[in-house]
Parts: sequence; C-alpha cells; structure tokens
Amino acid sequence: MKHVLASLAMLFALSLPPIARAQDVTLDFPSWQAEEPGFAEWWKGLIKEYEAKHPGVKVKLYSIPFANYVNQMTVRFAGQNPPDIVHLPSRNFASFAGQKWLEPIDDLLKNSDIPGNWSKLQSEMTWDGKMYGVLLLPYGNLLYYNEKLLQDAGAKVPTTPAEWLDAMARTTNRDKGQFGLATTTAEHPNMFIDAATWVLGEKQDWLKGNKYNFTDPGVVAAVEQFRKSLSYAPPGTNSAVARQLFIDGKAAFLRDGPWVWATLQKAKPEIRPSLKMTQLPFPVITGGASNSLHIPAKIDLQKKKLVWEFIALAASPPWQEKYVQLTGSPAGRVGVIGPEQAKRDPHLGAITQAAEKAENLFPMQPALRENYNEFATLFSRAVVRMQSSSQPTDAILANLQKELTAAVPLP
Amino acid sequence: MIGRPRWVGYALLAPALVAVGFLILYPLYLVLALSFRQGKTLNVLRLAELPFGPGNYRTIFASDATWHSVFVTVVYLAGTIAPAFLIGLGAALLLNRAFPGRRWLRSFILLPWAVPGVIVSIVFLWLLDGSFGVVNALLRQAGWLATDLAWFANEDTALAAVIVPTVWKAYPFFTLTLLAALQSIPSSLYEAAVVDGATRWQSFRYITWPGIRASAALAAILNTLWALREFDIVYLTTGGGPDRATETLAVRIYQEAFAFFRMGTASALGVLTMGMAILLVLMSIRSIRREYF
Repeated sequence: MKHVLASLAMLFALSLPPIARAQDVTLDFPSWQAEEPGFAEWWKGLIKEYEAKHPGVKVKLYSIPFANYVNQMTVRFAGQNPPDIVHLPSRNFASFAGQKWLEPIDDLLKNSDIPGNWSKLQSEMTWDGKMYGVLLLPYGNLLYYNEKLLQDAGAKVPTTPAEWLDAMARTTNRDKGQFGLATTTAEHPNMFIDAATWVLGEKQDWLKGNKYNFTDPGVVAAVEQFRKSLSYAPPGTNSAVARQLFIDGKAAFLRDGPWVWATLQKAKPEIRPSLKMTQLPFPVITGGASNSLHIPAKIDLQKKKLVWEFIALAASPPWQEKYVQLTGSPAGRVGVIGPEQAKRDPHLGAITQAAEKAENLFPMQPALRENYNEFATLFSRAVVRMQSSSQPTDAILANLQKELTAAVPLP
Repeated sequence: MIGRPRWVGYALLAPALVAVGFLILYPLYLVLALSFRQGKTLNVLRLAELPFGPGNYRTIFASDATWHSVFVTVVYLAGTIAPAFLIGLGAALLLNRAFPGRRWLRSFILLPWAVPGVIVSIVFLWLLDGSFGVVNALLRQAGWLATDLAWFANEDTALAAVIVPTVWKAYPFFTLTLLAALQSIPSSLYEAAVVDGATRWQSFRYITWPGIRASAALAAILNTLWALREFDIVYLTTGGGPDRATETLAVRIYQEAFAFFRMGTASALGVLTMGMAILLVLMSIRSIRREYF
C-alpha cells in the first residue's frame, strides 16, 4: 500500500508543471516594423534586454504588413483577441480609443518621467480627457532626392513648390522607367498625407472653423499642384513600392518620414551616394505623431504590469537614444539629440529640425479622429478620380465635401 | 433496427443536429439580429445597447453604393463563371483523351485550385504591375500598348484584372467535375455514333453534353456561390478600388464592418448577399432537381 501511495504521489508530482513554467508568460506583439531596417534591430535589442530583466517572460514579436495592419488589428480587437503590446499608427489611435479597446494610463504616467520630457505631440494620445498611450515617433516630413538624376536632367534641389514640380517634370522619362516622383498612386489612406503635405504646406486648411473647406480656392489650387505631381509618378504604386523605386534609383524624389533614412542603406553601392535628404520646399513643414504603444483594455493585472514595464523600458533615456541612432528617426523623448551629435550626423540634425518645426497634418477634430479610416478612404477615392479622370479638381473636391458631410458629419 | 422506436434514430442524429444548429443557424440568427441594430460599434457586448429598427435596410437600399456593389458583383460572377466553365470544359475534354504525359498534365492543370488566394493575388499583382509587370512589357513589345497600364489601379481595367486571377483559380474545379462526368459516359455510345456517321459536334451535342449536364449545372452553382463570397483575391489586389470599381458585396461588407465600424449596415448587406445566393439557388433548383432527383 505504501508503495502504491508513493507511486501515486510521484505521478501527481510529475504531472505538475515545473515551477519555472508556472511563471511563463508570453506577450503577443505584432508590428509592421518587425522586419524594417533600423526599427527591427531596435525592437529586437529592446526585447532582449526586457526578457533578460524579466525571466520567464517572452515577447513574441512578429510582422504584419503595414497595408493591412490597421484592418487586422481592428478584426482582432473586435474578436476580443487583442495583442498584449499594442503598436498603432497614431492617426488610427482615436478610433481604437473610441471603441474603449485601450486602457487609460494616466496613473502609470504620473509615476514616470514621461510627462515632463516628451514631445508636445504626446497630447495626441488623449481621448475623452484621458491618456491612452506613449508616443514613439513624432516626425516632420522630409524630401528625399536623387542628386545624380537631378544633375543629369539639369534640375536643382527645389526650394519652392513650383521648382519642385519643374524638377519632377525634367526628371521624368517613362520610356527609361524613370520617374520624377515616387509616391502612393494606388488607392490607400496614405494619399491623404501626400495631399496634406501640399495643402497645409501652402498654408491652407481642410477645415474652416468646424466645417469642411474643400471648395476654398486656396485649397483647390494646392490640390491642383498635388494632382500635377501625381502625373510624374508611376501608376498603381503603394508606399512600399514607391520607396523601393527611389532606393533603386528609378525616381528623383520621395516625400516621406525620417524612417526612410535607415532603409536607404539597402541601396546599391553605386546608387547610395546619390540619395540625399533635405527639407520640403513649402513654407510650412507638415508632420505628426507617427506611431505609439498602448495597453489593451481589460488585460489582466499581471500582464498590464508587464506591458507597462516594456513601454517604460522603451521610453528610458538609453533606449530612446538608441532609437534615434538605429532608426534615424526622432524619438518621443525630447533632447535625445544634442547639438554636438547633430553636427556629427547632419541627417539626425535635419530630422530633429523637421520634427521640431512640423505642424500636425492629421485633423484634430474629434469626429474626424474617431472616423479617420472612413475620412481617409473617401479622400483617397477622390485622389483616384483626380488621377484617372479629366474631371476638374474643384468639382472632385466639391463632391468629396458632399460625401464627407454625409458620412462623417461635423457637429 | 426495424421496429425500434423512432426516437432512437433522432437520438443518434441529435449530436449532428446540435452541431449544425450551432455552426450554421446561430451565426445566421446573429447576422439577422445585428442587421436591425443601428449605430456604430464593433464591441459585440455593446451591440444590444444600440437602437433596434429597420434603419440599416433603409440606408442600404437607398444608397447608390449598394446598387453599384450589386452590379459589380453580378459582373464579377458572370465574368468569372463563364470563362472558368469554358476553360474547365476544354481542359476536361483534352484530359479525357489518351495521350502521352496525360497524368502529368492532369496534375499540372489542377494545380491552380490548390494555390491559396493570397499567393494567386501576389503573383498576378506582379504580372500586371503598372511599371514593371511582364504583361505590360509583352504588350508594349508587341506594339499593342503605347504606355504602361496599371491594370489594378485603373478604373476601366481593374475589374477585368481581378476577374483574371479568379478564373485562373476557379477553372480546375470545373475540369475536375466535368472530367469525372466524362469518364462515366460509356465509350459504346461514341462507337455507335461513329458507325452512324455522326460529326464531332453531333457527338458532343447528343452524347457528351447530356452526360455532363448535371455535373456542369452543379459545378456552376457551387462556383457561383463561392465567387459570390470571394474576398481574398479582390481585397488583396485592389481593396475594392480604384474608386469602388471592384467593390463587390463581400468587400463592401468587410469595409463597412471593419474599416468604418458599422456592424449593423454590414450585417444588412450580408442578409442582402444571402438573399442573392438563395435566389440563385432557387433559379437553378429546377434543373438540378430534374437531373438528380
């Protein structure tokens, strides 16, 4: 009997999971940056240090292409299956917060050094009076150009919108597969960012008071220029292909954020020296909050603590400094790039300058923030009409205003 | 089993009935119930808080976008099923003949059916790419195209460009079904036809077609229903664009639900799509009943 009891006790003990495994936690972390040059190194380094500091905790980082990222996250949240570490393009943050899918973090922020040391764009993480995330990347748009293509075409680096259009025209040679501009020409919400670069850059605005302002002559004129620029770009291109065209030396210009700098290192050795960066040729530089980290709502307390510790580590000064160095992009923490480092790395100086000067291009009107996806989708359809039809720009914009008034009415 | 009470049979069927009820009827009920909830949310727990009424149906029936999607769906169905059937029939007739390498060719022809829609979409996105696609290069070399055409980004060509990969993926099912039917036709009928001096067309019309008609009808109905809910190829290649040119009902439902958070409107569109599917089945039920029952 003794033997039987001893055997049963042993069997029971063996059937229990080891103590170490009982503490095992995996934090699910999808991101569109998991394979992006510069960003991938930063995330992987951060995760390595985090896991070393948290034995038994694993962070499962994996990539989802940006084109489908927001939709996939939406489906996961709607299906009550959100990731543990939520990485979002900040422009879509409000629609997630509006659905009550994110956890307010005011209490956690209070006990951190983030509030006094962060970019002013951190305020965009507010919804209904509460703070819901930590901004990772505030940015200003930049103009990337291929110096050799400009020289060959007898064009100079533009300092005004008219000069930019002229340089695009000179460098476009479709028969040679060479384009004046690489930009999104396939229907995608990103089209709004490109158009906003022209409209806000020319000191115009989509909204007047609390009303849509698409029929304003100033807005129409700026969009007309934007429309013209699209005629120098390859058709049916998404943002990833546009960047690749520029890196392959097949496009003279690319309007993009600072994150492209790290990707430029992938260019062939004979092309890389020609790829340069400068400020956009507009009186106003546009930019905004690029992406941010969040905690999903109703997460269990243990995971909430772990996710916050992950965010806090990402926000710590050493990792913020590494962020700038590895990604070539501005960090959320201010003053990470000192004047001396800006002198040593002129591109870091340029991106910091653009980020500091940039005016937010994303609408801050609450109804538009909450319905950004619908707003940007309707907008991109109007851009497609500009590309594929001969309809006058003012008529397309008047129709867009009508559609938006019905779909996303402003209170 | 004879003489046993009837309840034993029902008891044995019960687990299957419960499973079917849970997997089919409950989601159907849920879609129907959601279609009467008016408002904007994706939080399933908050859906019951939304006002109940027929507003979503009023909205979708009054919307031009709905009828545009219905039109695109019908064109997409017709554009997919007719060529897929003809290619499938041609391939089945070819594979029904004896020739060297037939086994190898049979596997090869059926291959597209096994390829996931995502892969098909990527392959065709590259083939038909506006700047670097091989199709544009060939057409330009042949002198049939003056400038590069972004097939998926051009309003006039996008729907055709979406139909091509769908046909490529759909035709093997017709081939498989029709080949099975062709092989069940006794060869003695063809021998008798030769003796009677029948032409090839007459053999096809009076022997082959009656022999495969039932399978063809069933395959066409199944493929039509599949094409009606086809999502991945359309969404991955064009996302329903440009400017709604390829926005089928399936893509519109997805957009309404997961891009614009209007679950009620999406469900109402789902009910409309179901209605279209039921209508298609009812229209073809007579021919199926005649052949099979």
